[in-house]
Amino acid sequence: MTSLPEPMARLMSALASLPGIGPRSAERIGLHLVQAESEMVRSLAQAILESREKIRNCETCGTLTEKQPCLICTDTARDAATLCIVETAVDVISIEKSGTYRGRYHVLGGKLSPLKGIEPEDLRISQLEQRVANASVRELIIALDADVEGDATSHYLAQRLAGRVASITRLAQGLPSGLGLEFADELTLRRAIEGRRNIQ
Amino acid sequence: MHVARLKLRDFRNYRKLDAEFVPGFHLILGSNAQGKTNLLEAIYALATLRSFRGVGSAQLVHHGREGFFVGAKIIGTATTEIHFHWSAAGRQLSQNHQAVRRLADYFGTVRAVVFCTEDLQLVKGLARGRRRFMDLILSQTVPNYLTTLQRYVQALRSRNALLKQRTQDTALLASFTRELVDAGTRIMQARAQLLPNLSRHVAAAYSQLAPESELMTMTYEPAVKTDFQTELNRSSAREKVVCTTLVGPHRDDIALNLQGRSAAQFASEGQKRSIAIALKMAQSELLIQSTGVPPILLLDDVMGELDRQRRDGLLPLLARNGEQRGQVFMTCTEENWTHELGRDLHRWQVAGGALKRLP
Repeated sequence: MTSLPEPMARLMSALASLPGIGPRSAERIGLHLVQAESEMVRSLAQAILESREKIRNCETCGTLTEKQPCLICTDTARDAATLCIVETAVDVISIEKSGTYRGRYHVLGGKLSPLKGIEPEDLRISQLEQRVANASVRELIIALDADVEGDATSHYLAQRLAGRVASITRLAQGLPSGLGLEFADELTLRRAIEGRRNIQ
Repeated sequence: MHVARLKLRDFRNYRKLDAEFVPGFHLILGSNAQGKTNLLEAIYALATLRSFRGVGSAQLVHHGREGFFVGAKIIGTATTEIHFHWSAAGRQLSQNHQAVRRLADYFGTVRAVVFCTEDLQLVKGLARGRRRFMDLILSQTVPNYLTTLQRYVQALRSRNALLKQRTQDTALLASFTRELVDAGTRIMQARAQLLPNLSRHVAAAYSQLAPESELMTMTYEPAVKTDFQTELNRSSAREKVVCTTLVGPHRDDIALNLQGRSAAQFASEGQKRSIAIALKMAQSELLIQSTGVPPILLLDDVMGELDRQRRDGLLPLLARNGEQRGQVFMTCTEENWTHELGRDLHRWQVAGGALKRLP
């Protein structure tokens, strides 16, 4: 078998470095691109470049944005007194899709992990403290994963910010809606039972 | 529960094996190095996806081949067809022709208890082995236990990493300590609940094995005597010196006593072997108690080490498992005592990686 032309090989190895794309998919996409209309490829390349150049993390909250500060931080209709603390910018998108949250966000950029060497200084915690000190933030909603590191990070934040805001809460943990009990794993069920509520 | 059909390809010294087994007692005879243990190992691999000899899957591949395949039809409360293929490139596991996505959903499909010479370490070896024994039983019988144990291990490793840092952030350490205490307390509760029950079954099995009827007792010895958090606070100064978590369920042990004296120190070799077997019988009993189905028993060459009296005590214990729709596989090099097993015995001869039914 003759080897691929050099530019194609480079394209495929670049594609294969993307998340969710293995060598086979990289080959398919690569072959598709080199045979596609050059206009389509050009606009794709441009879209990639442009978005990479224009999209930044919001200096205030850390979400992905084109404008500084981001649209969420400048939206006066949103409640500036409530901050939702999430791990990544992608989490903001998930919560926004739910359409139920009308406060603002703060992206930590990770969670505390002694095993991966991620310490409080590596996260955007001091920025959070500044925001709490400067603006009139009254409520913090911690929306981190429910694994060991997420739980420890939540507790750490709650300790560190205690007394500086009126309320610090954590997202409830329980049953996914629309799913039967039999689909929930035991830990979820346990937490759902512990976090049960009165029916009004 | 029983293996109705077993299919091996390139597994250890079996290039190709297709065998059918009925429930009951199966005796696997053969000289050394013919593949008797390999057969048990294959059945055990279906239950746990690993070897009981403490080796990696690569060791299970037939010499010079790329991967192995173990297939089986298992009849328990339901009938399950299992295909398990392993090669260096990856593992493929399917259950009734559906790929298994979450291993947690798979474990429990095949339940097996293995008896081998290494079990002696449960009596005379380090506490680690006894903790693993408790964890194995609890993972199989208590929902959530495995998840809790995994959380505990992660919290412990994280906390130890923090203790090794030069400057310590007290609030950060406290956050992981909280996770450690939370998971650790639940582990200790589960172990404390298990022990009286386990001890009862071990004592019952032991009294059948040892005709002299010494009193066998087991007690849980938690590293934490009072409250986990309090004891962590108390040891915090020493923790800073040694840079590791000094107290917690990762330091637990079980005391095995014979007539009130430590079995590891005072029991004879024969008594220790009997205790090891009694522990495994108790594991099987607890599995029956929690699932209602007897597990498959795999006995690797344990008989040869017992005297006549103890064999006489063990066989009725095993026979019970063989009777109730269960299955027992036992390897053996000599045949001089098999008449004690009675009529319902299926005998097989293993030679050079081939299995042949004997009349």
